Amino acid sequence: MPQDMPPVGGYGPIQYKRNIPARGFRPVTYLVGMHLFMVYGYYKLFYGIREQNELAREKIWGRIHILPLLQAEADRDQVRRHLADKAREQELLGSEQKVYHSNRFIRPTFVYTPSEVTQ
Amino acid sequence: MARREPQFNQQLLVDPTPMPPEIPSVKEIGATSAPLTSVAYFIGDRCKAFNDDFMKCRAESNGRGEIECLKEGRKVTRCAASVLKDVNTHCLKEFTAHWECLENNNHRLWECRKNEMLLNKCVFDKLGLKKEIPGTPENQVPVHLRPKQIYAQFPGRQW
Repeated sequence: MPQDMPPVGGYGPIQYKRNIPARGFRPVTYLVGMHLFMVYGYYKLFYGIREQNELAREKIWGRIHILPLLQAEADRDQVRRHLADKAREQELLGSEQKVYHSNRFIRPTFVYTPSEVTQ
Repeated sequence: MARREPQFNQQLLVDPTPMPPEIPSVKEIGATSAPLTSVAYFIGDRCKAFNDDFMKCRAESNGRGEIECLKEGRKVTRCAASVLKDVNTHCLKEFTAHWECLENNNHRLWECRKNEMLLNKCVFDKLGLKKEIPGTPENQVPVHLRPKQIYAQFPGRQW
């Protein structure tokens, strides 16, 4: 029985590739483009952070300049209430009771509210 | 029960007792946050000595600063009030424009550079007080003098 043999001159080429053109630019273009984009972003970020630091410095120094003023006002209010408390205590108890074993100024935990005052 | 109207029968919850007469009185500054933010650097320029004195007194009085530094505190308040008074008499228009701008922009100083520049110029011409931010790097323009503000709503030239 005769055997099947390849045709004379061999088989023709097999088309295993699809004949579709590659879209877009070369891949290296995308890689470089992405890095350029990132570099631009970091460049803007660098100056943005620098400016944020300066703005924060401006804000905090503005606050530092008015802080003694606010503190002085708050202190005066505290002292006024403290002296009023002491006078009230003197009137009610006839003597001054020391609550803390310290002569520091301690902000009261409980504050006096006028009992029968309705404004 | 939840339907009951809340009753709050003490409107005055602050102790109204005045300061004893032997302690000299001082008129409080009475300005809100925006005007104070606006003049903060001028207060810092004119009242630096008083401010430092007060803070030093408080730091060194061993926890009794509230009572012992009342005198320094009055000086601080009087000095700040004098700055506010001078700015009000000489640069009222620029000052009002600036602090109203701050009020409308959530106290963001970088949104109000134009008004700020006008105010700074007026205050420097009339009162000689200058805005300087301590600690700014020397090789760059201070942030309040830069014509472009990156973070402003309009980031281009401000004036």
